Amino acid sequence: MTDAPSLQATDVTRTFGDVTALSEVSVSVPAGEVVALIGPNGSGKTTLLRVLAGVLEPTAGSVHYTGPPADRTIGYLPQEPTFRPGFTALETAGFYARLVDDDPAALLERVGLDAVADRRVDALSGGMTRLLGIAQSLAGDPPVLALDEPGSGLDPGMSELVFDLVADLAAPEHAVVVSSHDLLAVERIADRIVVLDRGTVVTSGSPAELRERTGGPLHETFRSLVGDEAFGAVRTREGGRE
Amino acid sequence: MTRRDAFWAVFAREVRAASRSWTYGLLALAVTAVVFGAARAGSGPAAGYVPTVVDVLLVVEVLVPAVAVAVGYRAIVDDAERGRLEVFDTYPLPASAYVGGVYAGRAVALLGVLLVPLAALGVHVATTAGPETAVFATHRGVDSPLLFVRFLALTAAFALVALAFAVALSAVAGSRRRAILLALVGLLIVVAGADIGVFGAMTGGVGVDLDTLLALSPSSAYRGLVFETVLYVAFTGRSAFVSVPAAAASLAAWGLGSLLVATLAVAR
Repeated sequence: MTDAPSLQATDVTRTFGDVTALSEVSVSVPAGEVVALIGPNGSGKTTLLRVLAGVLEPTAGSVHYTGPPADRTIGYLPQEPTFRPGFTALETAGFYARLVDDDPAALLERVGLDAVADRRVDALSGGMTRLLGIAQSLAGDPPVLALDEPGSGLDPGMSELVFDLVADLAAPEHAVVVSSHDLLAVERIADRIVVLDRGTVVTSGSPAELRERTGGPLHETFRSLVGDEAFGAVRTREGGRE
Repeated sequence: MTRRDAFWAVFAREVRAASRSWTYGLLALAVTAVVFGAARAGSGPAAGYVPTVVDVLLVVEVLVPAVAVAVGYRAIVDDAERGRLEVFDTYPLPASAYVGGVYAGRAVALLGVLLVPLAALGVHVATTAGPETAVFATHRGVDSPLLFVRFLALTAAFALVALAFAVALSAVAGSRRRAILLALVGLLIVVAGADIGVFGAMTGGVGVDLDTLLALSPSSAYRGLVFETVLYVAFTGRSAFVSVPAAAASLAAWGLGSLLVATLAVAR
């Protein structure tokens, strides 16, 4: 076992009844890199992220973690993080931190929520709830992070802050996999992009490699891969959703 | 992080949540009103502890599972439906520690809701009943506060079993809507269904003694234990309503079995 953490999914298939959400998907998340999963709605991003995080069993295929032993191997931010109502942000962070002997105040400070530490979670805005979810995912300093739409619901400034944080996390001792609809942010922070469509990997490569495919901006490559219709839900350089 | 640490973290979360919920206070007030109403209607408190137990036993037998279900039916399904169980999967939080912590935390709330009103009823008996009720003795023919304490202990055990059953149903429910439905079904099973099953088995001639057969249902087991160890203590020659060891074993099996089911459902 090496000290550099990595996650390797091999030929992962996941079905829900008659629906195949993922079909023989192989993805590598090496240490020191941010791997971004992009694709239209229903392409299998969240399912793949849940399988990678170990919270959903694949129907076939396997996911292997390589790296140092840790109390918590993978930090996971679900697509819609929720917390037990009636508790403050600090108490909520405290519950998760207690499970891994971490400092809740430091976790909140890391995501910029220290100013609202005493606010009840049911009184937090959607963006703040997501930030608290990110704080939760960081508890215990897990070597691998799986973050589902970390920038969703945040204003542009906060989204930029979160993606900067994600980029900073990808140190040699950490591997990060993130799903997002925000091509601007993905292009800025991802070392490698995996494009999913209909449960399969359409292509993968660095942002530069993907841009070279059409010679234009990344969203042009994305549009050429998944088609105009599926492209609608993706945020592009124009600042809106086309 | 040990399994015990994880248990205490979840337990503390449950107790803290319960201590902040006004609904538990409301439940306790409702229980107080019902048990005092039943006792007053039967005039038991003026006669002593055992007559009071006779007055409230039927009400408590229905009330305990109802309150236990109210306290426990959302215990696990809320975390499951809202994706928090998936997040817990990424922590060193074994299913047994999680279920144990949730159960123990809610048990503290449940016992508070049930036992405080019943203990208050006991105090009421002490201040209103005849002078012989102050005698601390359990030999036959003498009413005693110890018999009432025994009733409280048996009620607590029955409540813990009913809560374990409710938590198990919450763990297998999958959604809050299904949890409500299962809670109602579970309530019927604990209050009446198991008894009906026992009577059905009796008429079918299964070749098991009646006192053992009655012990199989949690309600019958509780009722039988109250009769055997509280009410019939004062009457020579009146016993064998239920097999005490079988009833105790039955309650333990219902409770531990339910917690096992809950743990397996969470670990899936």
